[in-house]
Amino acid sequence: MASKNNMYVIVIGCGRLGSFLANMLSNEGHSIVVIDIKPIAFNALAPDQFSGFKIEGDATELGILKQAKIDKADVLIGATHDENVNIMAAQIAKNRFDVPRVFVRILDPNKESFCKTIGIECVCPTSMAAEKMITALREKPES
Amino acid sequence: MRTNKILIVDDEKNIRMTLTQALEDMDVEIDTAVNGEEALSKLQDGDFGLVLLDLRMPGIDGMQVLDRLSKDRPDVKIIIITAHGTIDAAVDAMKQGAIDFIQKPFTPEEIRDMVSKVIQEETTGEQKNGDYDSCLKLAKKSVEDKHIEAAVEHVKKAISLDSSRAEAFNALGALLEIQGDKLEAQKNYRAAISLDPGYKPAHENLSRSTHANPNAEKNIKFDQKTSY
Repeated sequence: MASKNNMYVIVIGCGRLGSFLANMLSNEGHSIVVIDIKPIAFNALAPDQFSGFKIEGDATELGILKQAKIDKADVLIGATHDENVNIMAAQIAKNRFDVPRVFVRILDPNKESFCKTIGIECVCPTSMAAEKMITALREKPES
Repeated sequence: MRTNKILIVDDEKNIRMTLTQALEDMDVEIDTAVNGEEALSKLQDGDFGLVLLDLRMPGIDGMQVLDRLSKDRPDVKIIIITAHGTIDAAVDAMKQGAIDFIQKPFTPEEIRDMVSKVIQEETTGEQKNGDYDSCLKLAKKSVEDKHIEAAVEHVKKAISLDSSRAEAFNALGALLEIQGDKLEAQKNYRAAISLDPGYKPAHENLSRSTHANPNAEKNIKFDQKTSY
């Protein structure tokens, strides 16, 4: 990807989702900063794909977000296992630093509408899985 | 030395890749080094104008590279790459001659802006150098800094830009006289007088150096205002 289309992306959480996104986006030529509270989590970043930065720390702390230069971010993705952490970091990004695009992964479908009301784009694997299963059931009813 | 030839020195592959990607759309030539040893070897052979240098590296670290460069290659500009919370080290590096520093993580824009600024400053410097009067000013400054050879180069550049003016010939004469070449100095004073018979410093220099006028001032006149 040409570097003029390069986005500065902060990924919070370097678990399965966070590391997958970080590897993929970095490999596409975007500038990535991954934040995780456990340094061992960074082992999931693939040396042949990931060429970004790693910050060890709690992403709900303002100092850590500032260290990641959140004021310059084009995108913030909340991908930790704790959806409250994701939402809190996303709210800081959106309201305090005016980050143009903010995504979070949440597991509780009841929080989807809350995220929408505060302007955060959310992906809920629980409701996505449920919808897929329901669609599959409707398409191929058991004979 | 070419400012748009850049050497990236960092032991972390990630940083080398990030910097290379950030700069690849600019009109620059990029090379990388994985440690201080490789950096010094590449800098010895290549005409790099700018080095993006990490401070923390195994073996010869960034400060040692900086120290060596500031002695051997003061023409090479250095930007320090530093980790969060190591501002003190960056400040030390700037005292040692680095022109700027950037903290990790950095956005591609930050890097591009910093590099463009350095290239622009260099180009502006060259343009200034292309101006007759600026060449003479640079020459004067070089004399003040006791860099007579550099001053001679600036004066010669002024002559090449406009050989119809007396000032640079007189200044060249003054510098040659400082260097001990009185005969060549007098030739240049005469050249200055022939171009501008009313140019006083050249008359004064010639009469003093040839002892034609025993009352002449003892100082060498670089221009109307400055004598040595």
